Amino acid sequence: MVTALGRIALSLLQYLGELALLAYETCVSMLVAPIRWRLLARQIVEVGWRSQLVVIVTGAFTGAVLTAQTYFQFAALGMKSATGSVVAVAIFRELGPVLTGLMVAGRVGAAIAAEIGTMKVTEQIDALRSLAVHPIDYLVVPRVLALVLSMPLLVAESVGLAIVASYIVGVNLLGISGPFFLGNLYRYVGPRDIKMALTKAFCFGVVIAFVSCHQGLNAKEGAVGVGRAPTEAVVISSLAILILNFFLTFLLNMLFPYGS
Amino acid sequence: MISVRQLTKTLGSQPVLRGIDLEIVNGQTCVVLGRSGSGKSVLLKHLIGLLQPTSGEVWVEGEEITHLPERKLGGIRKKIGMLFQSGALFDSMNVAENLAFPLREAGVKNEREIRERVAEALEMVDLAGEEKKMPEKLSGGMRKRVGLARTIIGRPACLLYDEPTTGLDPIASDSINHLIRRLQKRLRVTSVVVTHDMKTAFTTADRIAFLHEGRIYFHGTADSLRATQDPVLTDFIEGRSGDVS
Repeated sequence: MVTALGRIALSLLQYLGELALLAYETCVSMLVAPIRWRLLARQIVEVGWRSQLVVIVTGAFTGAVLTAQTYFQFAALGMKSATGSVVAVAIFRELGPVLTGLMVAGRVGAAIAAEIGTMKVTEQIDALRSLAVHPIDYLVVPRVLALVLSMPLLVAESVGLAIVASYIVGVNLLGISGPFFLGNLYRYVGPRDIKMALTKAFCFGVVIAFVSCHQGLNAKEGAVGVGRAPTEAVVISSLAILILNFFLTFLLNMLFPYGS
Repeated sequence: MISVRQLTKTLGSQPVLRGIDLEIVNGQTCVVLGRSGSGKSVLLKHLIGLLQPTSGEVWVEGEEITHLPERKLGGIRKKIGMLFQSGALFDSMNVAENLAFPLREAGVKNEREIRERVAEALEMVDLAGEEKKMPEKLSGGMRKRVGLARTIIGRPACLLYDEPTTGLDPIASDSINHLIRRLQKRLRVTSVVVTHDMKTAFTTADRIAFLHEGRIYFHGTADSLRATQDPVLTDFIEGRSGDVS
């Protein structure tokens, strides 16, 4: 039992070490090698633009459902007008970044791991190296930058749509007073919530990028190996987002205390 | 040009190379023969720094490359081109883009020059006019030719071929063998060909090294290999497994 636990702890440490090494090499690459703007633009389209549908649906329906559920609970207590602010705070601080992160991990993380994994087992990465091109410069840096740049925008979009959907459901469907809804929203949502949402988005973007690239670069030979890489990328990214979110919530509440 | 000294490589717990010494002379073609799984491709990848040895050294043009970090291997890799077993074409790019890739990476900006060099390289491998095709539309032989065109377009001083005829029909194999020979004459490059195909070996080699049990078992000319009476070598040349049916 102890041996098994020790083995798990060691492999976790090894995995974290490999991720740290990949992050270090990526930072070095950003400093010493020129950024490939065309590849970066292509990745931004792939990561940001093509995630629109997923983000729109996630944001809008999360906002709508949360509003309805909050309204049904709060109505019994005579606090209907607080619905908007509660939903907005929950969306800004937790649900917007986390759900967007999970959706992007599923859509983009899997694609990154599958593409890089296929390149690895078909010797395309060795071919890059043999042509004097560093795989980190060519494959990892554009994907990391694209995710880091796109995630805050995607989260902002998701949160914005969630608030709009919340307003439509709360005011137009459930009959909450519009001025009260907006008044409470402005009163309880401030710059600190936006900072929290964007900081979490940035961190989740980093996690998805490095986990997915790492899984792709370490894909094992054969169809099973390539098939496993995206699955593991999604599972590890999702778990990492959920665990990291817990720690970020504590850290960000210390960094941006109430009233800041 | 390339010197391999006491090279060993262990993959997992399996020793693959057990002390290889090999000299590859400028302008000559050295064929590395051996059974499947004997470590030929592993040896080849060490010559361009794609693998790090467990111990031993690889020298390229007087420079020891085994301990160079990845970023410092760029200069060596510009001098040595490698044709991979599957061609290793970038499947997101068409043939012309695959060929233009090393030129763009080397800083060539003039699009007209790139087009001309792509056309010239494709003409050398008998694939003129195939610029627009995507890799998935190419046959195995065509992929290897395009891979070869991409390798020679940067005008390297040395070419490494990893199983250039594996998976091809006899006619396509013969065509690749003659292509290798033709390129040797036209470009005057040093070549290392890894294969288990005797026809490829005898068609292309100036010298032949036979890899057996992780060591160089034989190193000599094609004629001396043909004349050998060593049972390990004769069994391999004649394709005798010793099994009875």
